[in-house]
Amino acid sequence: MTQHTYLYNSKINNVLTNINRVMIGKEEATTLSLVALLAEGHVLLEDVPGVGKTMLVRALAKSLDCDFKRIQFTPDLLPSDVTGVSIYNPKEMEFEFKNGPIFGDIVLADEINRTSPKTQSSLLEAMEEMSVTVDGKTLGLKKPFFVMATQNPIEYEGTYPLPEAQLDRFILKLKMGYPNPTEELEMLNRTSKEHPITTIDAVMSKDELVGVQHMVSDVFVDATVKEYIIQLVTGTRNHRAVYLGVSPRGSIALMKAAKAYAFIQDRDYVIPDDVKYLAPFVLSHRIILNSEAKFEGFTVEQVVQELLDKATIPVRKDYR
Amino acid sequence: MNRLSHNMSLIYQSIIYVCGFFLFWEWLRPLDTITDTGSVPVFVIFTGFCFFLSLLKVKWWISSPLKIAGIIFIIDSLFIPEGLFSPGWFQVLVMHIQFNFEVMLNQDWSQMTPLFRSMLFLVLLWLMSYLLYYWCVVANRIFLFVLLTFIYITVLDTFTSYGANIAIVRTFIVSLLAMGIASFMKEMDKESIKFVGIKKISAWLIPIVAVISFSTVVGFAAPKLTPQWPDPVPFIKSTAENAGFGEGANTVQKVGYGEDDSQLGGSFVQDYSPVFRATVEKKHYWRIESKDFYTGKGWERSTELNYDELYNGEVNSRTFSDTVKTDDYRAYIDLEPDANLPKVVYPYGINAIQGNENVQYLMDRTTGSMEAEGPEVQGVLDEYAIDYSYPSFSLEQLIASSNDDPLEIQSLYLQLPTNLPERVRGLAEEVTNTKKNRYEKVKAIESYFSMNGYQYQTTDVAIPGKDDDYVDQFLFETKIGYCDNFSTSMVVMLRTLDIPARWVKGFSGGQKIDVKNTTIPGEAGLYQISNSNAHSWVEVYFPEVGWVPFEPTKGFNSPVDFYEESSALPEGTETETPTPEEQEQQTEQRQRQAQERLQEEEESKSGMESSNNMTWQWYVIGGLVLIVLVYLYLARYRIASYFLLRKYEKRSGVKVYQQAYHFLLKVLEHKGYKRETGQTLREYAKYIDTNFQSADMSRLTYHYERILYRNEMDSNQWENMTELWKNLIKRSLS
Repeated sequence: MTQHTYLYNSKINNVLTNINRVMIGKEEATTLSLVALLAEGHVLLEDVPGVGKTMLVRALAKSLDCDFKRIQFTPDLLPSDVTGVSIYNPKEMEFEFKNGPIFGDIVLADEINRTSPKTQSSLLEAMEEMSVTVDGKTLGLKKPFFVMATQNPIEYEGTYPLPEAQLDRFILKLKMGYPNPTEELEMLNRTSKEHPITTIDAVMSKDELVGVQHMVSDVFVDATVKEYIIQLVTGTRNHRAVYLGVSPRGSIALMKAAKAYAFIQDRDYVIPDDVKYLAPFVLSHRIILNSEAKFEGFTVEQVVQELLDKATIPVRKDYR
Repeated sequence: MNRLSHNMSLIYQSIIYVCGFFLFWEWLRPLDTITDTGSVPVFVIFTGFCFFLSLLKVKWWISSPLKIAGIIFIIDSLFIPEGLFSPGWFQVLVMHIQFNFEVMLNQDWSQMTPLFRSMLFLVLLWLMSYLLYYWCVVANRIFLFVLLTFIYITVLDTFTSYGANIAIVRTFIVSLLAMGIASFMKEMDKESIKFVGIKKISAWLIPIVAVISFSTVVGFAAPKLTPQWPDPVPFIKSTAENAGFGEGANTVQKVGYGEDDSQLGGSFVQDYSPVFRATVEKKHYWRIESKDFYTGKGWERSTELNYDELYNGEVNSRTFSDTVKTDDYRAYIDLEPDANLPKVVYPYGINAIQGNENVQYLMDRTTGSMEAEGPEVQGVLDEYAIDYSYPSFSLEQLIASSNDDPLEIQSLYLQLPTNLPERVRGLAEEVTNTKKNRYEKVKAIESYFSMNGYQYQTTDVAIPGKDDDYVDQFLFETKIGYCDNFSTSMVVMLRTLDIPARWVKGFSGGQKIDVKNTTIPGEAGLYQISNSNAHSWVEVYFPEVGWVPFEPTKGFNSPVDFYEESSALPEGTETETPTPEEQEQQTEQRQRQAQERLQEEEESKSGMESSNNMTWQWYVIGGLVLIVLVYLYLARYRIASYFLLRKYEKRSGVKVYQQAYHFLLKVLEHKGYKRETGQTLREYAKYIDTNFQSADMSRLTYHYERILYRNEMDSNQWENMTELWKNLIKRSLS
């Protein structure tokens, strides 16, 4: 690891510390969000309201000096509410494009499953293509661009669950979970005067973040580790409980995430531990179980864990 | 704090080790009751010394010389009168060691000298101190030793005269204390509690003391049941006695000299109680008497004993002629008062006997039996000196000897029972049919037993039944027996060939017990002759020479020397083809020498069959090889790590590093730390480090990961990595 990357690495760690000052006991979610951000991916947060999803994104945006936008998805939300709309300017005598919330750097798409598929797809197109098409014109999005979508797992009535093809667009899916009593007490103590989010400052600039994203893509992945990734991914395709396994996009996502995680861990190379740690978050939402497995109470997490336990870790190479 | 707790655990370990010493003391206590071990306190002190050195954790290069010095000091003060480290001192020591190694090779355990046995015992004590150190301090597992101690004490109490009434109480208290502390230490270790403060000590010390004193008092004072089973000792003994074979009349005798030889055969047990001691210049057989009348079951005398008084102790009667070459010697004989030997033992060629004044010596010229007569019946025969001219027989003279036996010899010494089976004669003729003269025939029969499957054995020896002949049964049926079988058979076979022969009883040369007063190294010295040395052999009559002793018993050497005067045969014998005869003789000589080499010099009744010596040696070699192989197998990782380390110190590189790392994984797996499938190296390293309470494995794994997943090798780290690797290997192999 060069001096240069080392500097940025310490900045990333500062970002983590910063966020953790706001988020109590959510180190894992924080780290994983950062992994997704550095890997130029997007996160799907599946959790009940009020566990700090918004706070996490806000703290992230503030620490990185990024533009934060929030879209509350409702059944009557239109695609143009996301992307923006052309409005006739009577003074200029022409249509003028007003940027929608999607043009923010860090976008929180709250309760994404509550809106119609049409609106959902407008968001997902933007996520995948890094561009927005309005009135036949395609507008590119600026880097960094990071979407954190949330969905509520409890309510099913009046929701439009994301199709599997679209779930695939998220590099990882994570859950926040409730804090434990000690953490919750600490949380109450901290928020009694003023919310800690107001006290934190940016520790990294937007440009620096883009630079780090570039460095992350340079993290070295050895052939043996790539083989390990492939072993896991193909494992999902051949598993007896699986109806649809992980796509090649999933392999790429796993590798990218592993690179980002390795970078956060102060390493310029990926080790199997990175892959092993990230696999449940990267692979779970890309797997569809068959009906028998569902009936037997088998979960996707169990499938991934089983694959991880059985996989051969590469521990030697043929040196000639 | 940490230091204090370390010191505390050290103190507890020391207490356990001291308890171990007291328990081991219980192993030594019975020795003077049940064995002939003297000076037990000396051994106990030496044990204490060894334990003390181990406890102080003295470096081996200090403690080993100290212990060796201890052994030398004890050996010197107990056994060697010469000044410490004087030339004579070394000579004595070397002689002892040489002698004992010969004895050990010969499996003559009973012949080992006290000095050597004590030395071995001291070394054993030394080893035991290490073993107990391991048990008590390193492994903190004392239960097995406690259990063994209890078994030892109870078995001794049951089966020997050792009374363990108090010993069992002592052992109980000491072992409870030791196990209490050991279990306390294990608990502390398991829960990783530190030894802090005096409060905690009393918290467990009081219960321990209370439990021990309570159970001891209750156990001691409480009424005890009388034994519920009958005493096992008489039962076992009676079972053992009945476990013979044969026609039901098989009895076990004790070996020794007895007057009655009319019923030979049967097994006997060895009896090592001494009969007499002899200071001699040369080791030889001790004759008592001969018998001439073979009944088919045993030996009797055909003539009544006719004692002549010996004037001034002069014997004036030899069993061989004056032409035989002799050497003059003097022997001093000191009889054991308890032995009750009624007859005089004497060497061949006795000239005169001198004993106490007032003691008159008597001799029967026919049998050679000598007795003493004095004012007091008891203690007449306690010590005497004998002047004698010990014979060595010329082979030429024996070969040249004619067959013209005097009539009185023929009448006495050719007797055979009328119902002697004809096949005995047949065998004798078959064995000797190519032999031309008497000497060759005698030698042929003498050596016949060593080659034809006859076995020397003192147990399971048959007694001839009503219609059996003792010799016939041995020669053709059992082929198992001891000196009486061999000697009687030879006499009978010779008599069937009309060669006069008689059966002689006495003792073999015995065991050399002291070398104190010898000026001449070699055979000279003080010999102890015990009941187990009682022996019988054969005398054959040669007209011009007289009675010549022969030794047919397997494992024993000829009691007298034979020599050749010149390479050419004397005139007067058949001269047609001297070469074959000579060759034959040489072959015989060579066979004899080979046999002698195998049998070594020491002969005794407890000796093994010579034919078994070779196989026995092969067993030993095979056993040693097996032990070495097992050791190599068990130590394979240790050995491999040694060689790999040499290699890594010389070479570096990814390939070598990978090899080394995987060897370490293998060693760890061998030690029970297996890496699961799906477990990454980092996870595994953490697991190992938790167990070893270090961070070495993680550090080493970090370097290996860089090599494996980054293709990057920092050669500056090589030394560091080798060091880590070495530590881990050491740690996992310890």
